[in-house]
Amino acid sequence: MRRRSGRQTVAGWLFVTPFTILLVAFLLLPMAYAAKLSLYRSTLVEGEVFAWLGNYRQAFGDPEFRRGVVRVVVFGLVQTPVMIGLSLVFALLIDAGTSRLARFFRLAAFVPYAVPVVIGTLMWGFLYSPRTGLFSSVSDLDLLSSGTVLYSLGNVVTWQWAGYNMIVLYAALQGLPREVYESARIDGAGPLQIAVRIKTPMISAAIVLVTIFTIIGTLQFFTEPLILQPLDPGTITNSYTPNVYAYHQAFSYQQYNYSAAISFLLGAVVFIGSYIFLFVTRRRSALR
Amino acid sequence: MSVRHFSLKRRAVAVVAASALMAAGCGGSGDAGGEPDGPVKIKVWAWYPSFKPVVDLFNKTHTDVQIEWTNAGTGQDQYTKLQTALKAGKGAPDVVMIEFQEIPTFQLTKHLVDMGEYGANAAKGNYVDWAWKQVSNGGKVYAIPVDAGPMAMLYRKDIFDKYKLTVPKTWAEFKSQAQKLKAASPNSFMTDFGANDGGFMTGLLWQAGARPFNYTAAKSPDIGLSVNGAQAKSTMAYWEDMVGSGLADTTAFQTTDFYSGLTTGKYATYLAAGWGPGYLASVAKKTEGKWRAAPLPQWTAGANAQGDWGGSAFAVTDQAKHPKQATKVAMEIFGTSKDAWRIGIDQAFLFPTVTPILQWDYFQGKKYGFFGGQKVNEVFVPAYNGIGEFHWSPFNSYYFSQMTTAMNQAIEKKSSWPGALDTVQQNVSKYASQQGFKVAQ
Repeated sequence: MRRRSGRQTVAGWLFVTPFTILLVAFLLLPMAYAAKLSLYRSTLVEGEVFAWLGNYRQAFGDPEFRRGVVRVVVFGLVQTPVMIGLSLVFALLIDAGTSRLARFFRLAAFVPYAVPVVIGTLMWGFLYSPRTGLFSSVSDLDLLSSGTVLYSLGNVVTWQWAGYNMIVLYAALQGLPREVYESARIDGAGPLQIAVRIKTPMISAAIVLVTIFTIIGTLQFFTEPLILQPLDPGTITNSYTPNVYAYHQAFSYQQYNYSAAISFLLGAVVFIGSYIFLFVTRRRSALR
Repeated sequence: MSVRHFSLKRRAVAVVAASALMAAGCGGSGDAGGEPDGPVKIKVWAWYPSFKPVVDLFNKTHTDVQIEWTNAGTGQDQYTKLQTALKAGKGAPDVVMIEFQEIPTFQLTKHLVDMGEYGANAAKGNYVDWAWKQVSNGGKVYAIPVDAGPMAMLYRKDIFDKYKLTVPKTWAEFKSQAQKLKAASPNSFMTDFGANDGGFMTGLLWQAGARPFNYTAAKSPDIGLSVNGAQAKSTMAYWEDMVGSGLADTTAFQTTDFYSGLTTGKYATYLAAGWGPGYLASVAKKTEGKWRAAPLPQWTAGANAQGDWGGSAFAVTDQAKHPKQATKVAMEIFGTSKDAWRIGIDQAFLFPTVTPILQWDYFQGKKYGFFGGQKVNEVFVPAYNGIGEFHWSPFNSYYFSQMTTAMNQAIEKKSSWPGALDTVQQNVSKYASQQGFKVAQ
């Protein structure tokens, strides 16, 4: 028996080898390289020197980086509840309805997710354009000005991802046992009460999951601002979000070391943000 | 952004052609050092439109050297790949297209070969002084100029006729004509000021006599910075006034809104560079025959101050195994060849830098249908010859991005434009010191 378990261990390792190799080659090694990069400083004149935590110190004191972090955190605080709320409402609606309309609606809400982010953002960029855009013919509000562009970006993100989150929640709803609804109905619960008191608590694990995805996604906000940057370069600067900042540091200014340090700090922010959320929701479920 | 964003279709064709070429020429040259047996293969990166026939022509007319051409992306895309390959120590081409304003950046990292050692100084006499100084430092030659972007004013003759505007010779007249246009047609603008284009803004400052940088490779790490000099400030104050009074628009260049403005006649003029006529013909096809070219308005009546917006050159990288042959390629791809330049002028709309071609009857006398048969080069060639010496910094992408950010913020917040130049000066000085330069204001 003991020999068999040894062989099992070897077999187990063999099974995870392909994954381990990919993990090490494409995640851990690049991360280690980036970590090393972030500890050096290269200047155009003097070349590369070891700087310990100099890049990190610089980033903490860098007002552009701090503004970017604050922006994505605030953006996430608004964006996440809106997005998850919408997705949940949609999921509950199509779960309650069984008609063909529900099927059509499910597809329609999901389609934006199938559109590549770049294409979707470009499309919204055309719609927002204050001169040739569709909205300009309806109202005078400039959707690409300093006061509005963050909302415009939020709209693009919601449009793109709400359908995806809806499908995840909908799948969770489909997995629930139908008998529960029946007993609830016998106890006199209406459709609204079933949705709020029965279905929503029962898929709380899925809700936590999509919320985590959304938090990580908003903190790493990158593609949408980068694509809309040419349309409103005064507001969407090269340091608009930490990710955009890291990108420009590396590929516009050749500051690979500083870029690596920023990326690691952003990673830390994402980690802390996700952890806080998981911690809060864990306590809640324990209380229940 | 770069100067040659214009024909997407053409770029797509070029990419396809490039991949076909790569597939065909995958062998590569294996021999290191010494005199090779067969023809030496030289890898070239460039994003000129219609470049394939130029490469074919070179390969047909040379037996000792053959070009393997790749389109590695336009502007910043290519520079990013190039920086990475140069840093990695392999994967860079032998000969690479670099815009004037980026040459000091690549020179500083010591990845450009001094082509002077391989006979490049022989070409010096073919170029006017300012163009040669863009690519060289004393006897050291870091690139061979190909095309340039002398600035001029392209204007809609139909609109000028309709509102009885006269072609302005000074910036003061430009403003008075703009007011006349605005009074007659409130939705029109005299021109568009593309604050998203560092090259455009710097070109206008260049004409005004502003010299933001005092830097040469020999002086490094000393650098003089005066982004907010008097000429620059007065130029920006002029444009702040033009925009503030509704005479000039601020739509970003190379956007749909901008193209539609050019097509619909919202803009009466387009302040353009030598590559502008071809660019305009491709983005505003419908307006064929309505445009004319005139010299850039002057700050002082009767003066001949000119500026440049864009322009590029061929450099040899330190990864070239055969720097002598690579230098030959850089010097002769376009060189003074009339056959190559015929393609460059007619299909790629390049504005040549090389004097024999500039003086060529075919180029000077070429009538452009898009400009109602006007010989537009009769405007651009004198503009080119009137351009003064100008230095770029070895951190141009940082400077351009600071310029575009600061100017766009000034436009959006309606704050002072000359004040925005002070911000740029501060940020660039700080950056330069951080990078180890000795900054003099």
